[in-house]
Amino acid sequence: MTAAFRAAQDAPAQRVGAAAPDDRLAAAPKAVARLVGICKAFGPTQANDRIDLVVEAGEVLGLVGGNGAGKSTLMRILCGAGRADTGSIEIGGVPIDRDLYDTTLAQLGGIRIVHQELSLCDNLSVAENFFLESPEAARARPGWRARYRQRAHAALDEVFPRHGIDVDAPVGHLQIGQRQMVEIARAVAAPRVRLIILDEPTSSLGLERSLQLRALIKARAAAGLSFIFISHKLQEVVDIADRVLVLRNGRAAWTGPSAQASVAALVSAMGGPTEGTLRSRRAARVAGTEDTAAVARLSGPVVAPLGHDVVLRAGEVVGLAGLEGSGQRDLLHRLFGTPRGGISREGGASFVSGDRQKEGVFPLWSVLANIAVGRLQGRAPLGLVSDTAERAAAQQAAQGLKLDPARFDAPILDLSGGNQQKALVARALVGEARTILFDDPTRGVDVAAKEDFYALVGSVARAGRLVVWHSTEDIEFLECDRVLVFSGGRIVRELVGAQISEQAIVDASFAEAAALERDGTAGQRGFGDWLVDLAPFASLIAVFALMAWVNPMTVSLFGLDLLLGPAIALVLVALAQMFVVGGSEIDLGVGAFAGLVSVVSATLLVDTPALGFAVLAAGILAYAAIGATIQLRRIPAIVVTLGASFIWIGIGYSLQPTPGGSSPDWLTAALSWTLFGLPANLVLIGVAGLVALAIDRAPLGVVLRGFGNNPAAMRLSGWSPLRYAMVRYAIASLFAIAAGLALTGINTASDVNAGGPFTLISVAAVVMGGCALIGGMISPLGVVAGALTLALIGALLGALNVSTDYNAAVQGGLLLAMLVLRTVADRRSANR
Amino acid sequence: MTDWLERNRWVWAGLGVLLLWAILSVTTGRFSLHSLSGVAVSASFLVLVALGQMLVVTTGRGNIDLSIASVLTLSAYASIVVTQGADARLPLALGAVLLIGLATGAANALLVVAFRVPAIIATLATGYILATGTLIANRWASGFTVSPLLKTLAAGRIEGVPLMLLVALLAVVLVGLVLQRTVYGRALSAVGQNERAAALAGIATGRIVTSAFLASAMLAGLTGMLLGAYVGGAFLEMGAPYLLQSLGAVVLGGSLIFGGASTALGTLFGALLLVLIVTTMQIAGLPPGTQDIVQGFAVIAVLALAGGRAVRRRRAAPANGSA
Repeated sequence: MTAAFRAAQDAPAQRVGAAAPDDRLAAAPKAVARLVGICKAFGPTQANDRIDLVVEAGEVLGLVGGNGAGKSTLMRILCGAGRADTGSIEIGGVPIDRDLYDTTLAQLGGIRIVHQELSLCDNLSVAENFFLESPEAARARPGWRARYRQRAHAALDEVFPRHGIDVDAPVGHLQIGQRQMVEIARAVAAPRVRLIILDEPTSSLGLERSLQLRALIKARAAAGLSFIFISHKLQEVVDIADRVLVLRNGRAAWTGPSAQASVAALVSAMGGPTEGTLRSRRAARVAGTEDTAAVARLSGPVVAPLGHDVVLRAGEVVGLAGLEGSGQRDLLHRLFGTPRGGISREGGASFVSGDRQKEGVFPLWSVLANIAVGRLQGRAPLGLVSDTAERAAAQQAAQGLKLDPARFDAPILDLSGGNQQKALVARALVGEARTILFDDPTRGVDVAAKEDFYALVGSVARAGRLVVWHSTEDIEFLECDRVLVFSGGRIVRELVGAQISEQAIVDASFAEAAALERDGTAGQRGFGDWLVDLAPFASLIAVFALMAWVNPMTVSLFGLDLLLGPAIALVLVALAQMFVVGGSEIDLGVGAFAGLVSVVSATLLVDTPALGFAVLAAGILAYAAIGATIQLRRIPAIVVTLGASFIWIGIGYSLQPTPGGSSPDWLTAALSWTLFGLPANLVLIGVAGLVALAIDRAPLGVVLRGFGNNPAAMRLSGWSPLRYAMVRYAIASLFAIAAGLALTGINTASDVNAGGPFTLISVAAVVMGGCALIGGMISPLGVVAGALTLALIGALLGALNVSTDYNAAVQGGLLLAMLVLRTVADRRSANR
Repeated sequence: MTDWLERNRWVWAGLGVLLLWAILSVTTGRFSLHSLSGVAVSASFLVLVALGQMLVVTTGRGNIDLSIASVLTLSAYASIVVTQGADARLPLALGAVLLIGLATGAANALLVVAFRVPAIIATLATGYILATGTLIANRWASGFTVSPLLKTLAAGRIEGVPLMLLVALLAVVLVGLVLQRTVYGRALSAVGQNERAAALAGIATGRIVTSAFLASAMLAGLTGMLLGAYVGGAFLEMGAPYLLQSLGAVVLGGSLIFGGASTALGTLFGALLLVLIVTTMQIAGLPPGTQDIVQGFAVIAVLALAGGRAVRRRRAAPANGSA
C-alpha cells in the first residue's frame, strides 16, 4: 500500500515542480487533497459533521470559523494526526483507506502544516529542524549538517529576505515571530511539498514579514503549490485566498470564491452575533448603580497611561481588551493571586478559564464533583463534604446556566465543550467569591452555549459580584459595562458604556502597538550561557586541583590511573542514563542492570561464553522492550524501570547468590594495555565519551533529542515514537553492558549489589554534566566530566580521611545542591 | 457494571487475594488460618508504608517517594538506640522517629514544591543522604533490646488477632475516610488530576503536596519503629523491599499511577496480595532471587494493563485527541 502510494505521489510531484502554470491547467485537474463527508465525534461532541474539503493544485483556500468550529479537527485529519469516523480521503488523486491514513502518508502526499506551537523542536538548531522535515539527505558522517544549513539559509532567504536568523541557533533562542518564519520556510522548502496548511501564520509576524509571506503565497500558488490559509484576520483571508470555506459548529456553513466574500458576510456565516443584538441586550440590563462597594483597585505602572487609578465595583462587568498577550491575562492572574504591586482586591475571587483541558476540568470526576470543588475554597481540611448539600448548591448554580442537573453524575469529559464550560462557570458561582475572573471563557464553545453565558454574566454581576472578563473576541466586550484596553502590558484606554464598540477597542489596541515591531532579532548567547556550558569542566578541574594539592601524586600518570581508572564504569553508566534522560525519562534500573551484566560476565562468560553473550543480547532486547512498554502503554518510566531493577537483581542473585566469580581473560586484557604510555582505562573513558558524542551528533541523536523535546511535533513530521523509544533504550543498554563488563574487569569478580549505587550517581553525573532533566538537552562530554568529578570527590573524601560512609550523603547532597542552584539560576534568567 | 468496576478498582485486588488464598488452602493442606495471620502481619507493615506512598502518588505529576526505604531503616535504628529497651524512653523514641519523618518529608516537599526538582530525584537523593545516617547509626547501635510495650504493639495478639493488623485496618479506614469524605481528600484528588486547575479553583496546591510527602515520611518512620520492634532489631537493608512493594501495593490496589484517584481499601488488598504472592513463592521453595523477579514483573504487568485505562479516559478529551 505504502510503496504503491509513494510511487503515485512521486510522479506528479515532479511535474508540478517543473511545470509552468499554464501547462498545469492543461493537465487533468487532480485535487491535491479531496476529503468527502468527513465526520468526527469526541464523546457526544460532533466536531466535524459531513464536511467536504477539496484543494486543487495551485489554489489558496481560506478556512475560517469561530473557535471550536472544527477547523483544527479537520486539519488534524488532513495531516493524518487524527482519524475520521466516516468519510473518504483522496490525496493526489489516490483514494486512501481512512483507517490507514497517518502522518507518514500525509507527508508522502506532500502535505505540511505550519502551526505555531506544535512543529518545531526548540532544543535543536534551525538547520536540524530542517533535517527533521526532510531526513532523506542525511548521512551518518561528519559534516552532514552542512547540507541542511545551506537548505535552511536558502529557504529563509527566499521567503523572508533580510531575515537575520542564524541557522545554527537553537530554535528556543529565537523570538516567537522568528520561529514562525522558520516553520513557514521549512514547510515551503520541503521536497515534494504540494499543500501547505498555514494555521494563523501572521499572528506573530510584523507587517513587513506578513507582506513577504503574502508575496510568497501568490508566487508559489502560481507555480502550482496549494495552500490552506487559516486566520482570524478575515480581511487577510479575503485578500489572499482564491476560495473560502466557512465552518460553523462542525459543519461547512458557506463556501465560495473569495471574490464573493466580504468580512461582514464571513462573520455572519461563522455565526458570530451582530453588534446590534449584543448592544440591545446590555441596554435591557438593569443599569449598575454608581456607588456600589469598591471590590478591586488597580494602581501603579499598569494604569500609568491613564493617569489615574481604576476602581472596580461590585455589580460591574469589566472587560479586558487588547491584542492577545498585551497584559490582560497577566492582570487577571494578579487579581486572582495575593494582592501586591498596586493591585488590591476585597474578598475572595474565583477563576474561570476558557482553556478547559489545561486549567479547568478535573478529568476523572463527574460534573457534580467538578462544580462542587468550587465550595472547598477556605474550608478546613478535615471538614466533611456532603453530597446532598453539594447537589443543592450545584443545582441552583446550574439553573441560570441551562445546565441539565440530570447530567450531574456523568463524567465531565462526556459533556460538550459548551456544557463543560457551563460546569466551570457553575463552579465559580457555588463559592462565596465576590470577584469572578473570566479568562476567555467562551473559547471553543458553541453559539447556543455562548448565548446562555452572555445572558448569565449580567445577572451574576447585578447580584452583587464583580465580573472581570478577558476575551479574545472583541465583539464580546459589547456585553461589558466598562472595558479596559491593554497595549504593551498597560491599560491605555478606559471605555465606558456607549463608548464601547469594536472599532473603539481595535483603535485603542493598535494605537500604541503599531510602534512595536513584534519580531525582534535573536539575542546573542550571553556570557552566562557559556559559563553554564563550561561548568562541568571547570568543576572537574577545580576538584582535580584540590586533589593535587592534597596529594601531589595525583598528577602522575600512575596517580591518574589509580584515581580515574575505576571511574570508567561510572562514566559508562552515566552515559547510559544520559540517553534515557535525553528522552525526558529516568532509568532507575540502570545500576542494577550493570550489576547483572557484571555477574553474567564473571560467571556465564567465563564458563559458557556462548550462553553469556546470548544473555547479554537478551538484555539489549529486554531494554528495547522496556522502551516499547513505556511508549505503548504510556506508563511512567520510573515505575517500569524500578520494577525492572528488581528483576535484574533477582536474576543476578539467582545466577550468583554470593559475590565471586572471575573476570574472563580477554576482559582483563582489554583493560590492561597502554597507548603511548596512557593506561587503557583512561583511553577507554575518552573513547566512551567520543562514541556517545558521535551518536548524539549523528542524525539518530538529533532525532532522539527531538523526541525528548517535542514528541507531538516529531509524530507530526512522520517519525515513529515506538521505534525511537526502543532505539533509545537499546543504546542505553549497550552503554550499561559496557559498564557491567568494566566493573568485572576492574574488580576481577562480581557482586550483583555492586551496581545499585550507580543509579543515583549516574543521575547526579548527568545533572552535573549540564543536561536538563526535562527537554532533551544532553551533553556527552559534560556527562563524562561530571562522572569523573564525582569519582574524584569520592577519592578526595578518602584522601581527607572522611569515612566512606559519607560518600552517599555527599553525592546526594551535591546532586540536590546542583538542582536547586540551577532552578534558582533559571528563575533569575526568566525574570531578566 | 463496568462503571461500577471503574469506580471501585479495589475489587480486582480483593478477588486476587481470595483466589490466591483459596488456591493455597487447597493445594497445601497446611495453609491454615493461622498462617494467614502471619501473612496479615507482614501485610500490615506494608500497608502503613503503602498508604503514605499512595498519598504521594495521588498528588500526580509522576510524584513518588523513593526515600521511604531509608526513612524506615533509620527510624528503626533511632527507635532502638533511643529506647534502649525501656518503656519509659518510648515517648522520646516516638519523638525522634516523628522528627526524622517530618524533616525528610519537609525536605522532599521543599525540593519538589519550591524548587520544582522532580520528586523521583529529590526523594532518591534524600534517601541516599539518610542511608549515610543508617550506616552511622549501625555503628552506634549496641545491642538489640526492644521496648516491651512496642514489642507488644508490633507482635502481640488480642483473641488471636494480631494487634498490628488492627493498627493497619484503623489506618486504612482513617485514610479512606479522609480521601472520600473530607475537603482535604477532594483537594488532593483535584491536585493530582490537574494541578493548574486546582490552583485556579483556589486550592493551596503547594500545601497539599507538602502534606502528602510529610504523611508518607512519617508513616514510613512509624512503620520502621514497629517493624524494628517486631523483628527485634534493625539492620541495614530492612527498608529496601518496601520501596518496590509499597508502590506495588498502590498500583495493584487500583490507584492510578498518574495520580488523582486512589483507594485506601485497594491499597490494603494490594498489600495483602503482594505478601501472599511472596508467601506462595516461599512455600513453593523458590529462591529469593526469583521472588524479586516475580514482584518486578507483577508491578510492570499490572501497570501495563492498567495504564491503558487511564489513557483512554484522558483521550476522550477533544483538545488532546491524539496526543
